[in-house]
Amino acid sequence: MPIFRWGQPWDPFQDLEREVDRLLQGVNLTLHGVRFSRRFPQVNLFELDDSYVLTAEIPGIDISQLDVTIASNCLTIKGTRLPPAEAGEDAFRRQERFHGPWQRKIQLPDRINEDGMRADYSAGVLRVTLQKAPSAAARHIKVNEGP
Amino acid sequence: MTDISDHNPPHESTSMIPAPENSSGEPRLLFNPPIDIYETPDGLVLYADLPGVDSEGLDLQVQNNRLTLFGRVTTDVPQSAQMLHQEYHIGDFLRSFILSDEVDHERIHAKLTNGVLRVELPRAARAKPRRIEVSGG
Repeated sequence: MPIFRWGQPWDPFQDLEREVDRLLQGVNLTLHGVRFSRRFPQVNLFELDDSYVLTAEIPGIDISQLDVTIASNCLTIKGTRLPPAEAGEDAFRRQERFHGPWQRKIQLPDRINEDGMRADYSAGVLRVTLQKAPSAAARHIKVNEGP
Repeated sequence: MTDISDHNPPHESTSMIPAPENSSGEPRLLFNPPIDIYETPDGLVLYADLPGVDSEGLDLQVQNNRLTLFGRVTTDVPQSAQMLHQEYHIGDFLRSFILSDEVDHERIHAKLTNGVLRVELPRAARAKPRRIEVSGG
């Protein structure tokens, strides 16, 4: 798929275009290579008016092996993703998927109500909803004039 | 011996390309899902990570020796949500493989569980070792 094109498709430029395409795809490859070695699972954090929502891509987990905890505004998710039991080590032709124990800690930006926590797992995506703690209303402090 | 191979050359198979716009006009990203392939006595088993894909969003096809998997990702994060931290992008999954004749195309079987696709690719009967009786003459 062409990523880069000059405005005019002149023949002398086509080789250069191809070369640029190749270079750009090489860059993509590098970035994607990083993606594989990056932390597992990948998480996104959203803010809504009254809550935070964390989503994590953790395909192929049994929910009994999924551990979600919160302490001091720090959310911890951890578990283990096992390789298929029937596959021996030398049976693999290709192994790109993550296997093994994993853990992520996410510091939340604001105080949350630890009772209003809810976690759902669907189609390999974990979604944790955390209610924000009701912030104390601003209080006026009376200023007394000195003597 | 190769029973299965990536259809795309490696430099393409790991690239992230913008997909054509969908009906709602929003551009969608397309990713190559990570896979495992291992051998069993009966053939090959392929696993692909497709987080966010349910069975309705999965399209698996075998045509002319080519196995293509496409997974459409659904997400229900409200539009009003503000992104605070992003490590992954939402996009669909596409990857295709060339199957050799040693795979019995008729008996390919697939199952999607918790965002992981498992495809069984049984070896064709003729690819299994067969004992040939030798008669004395």
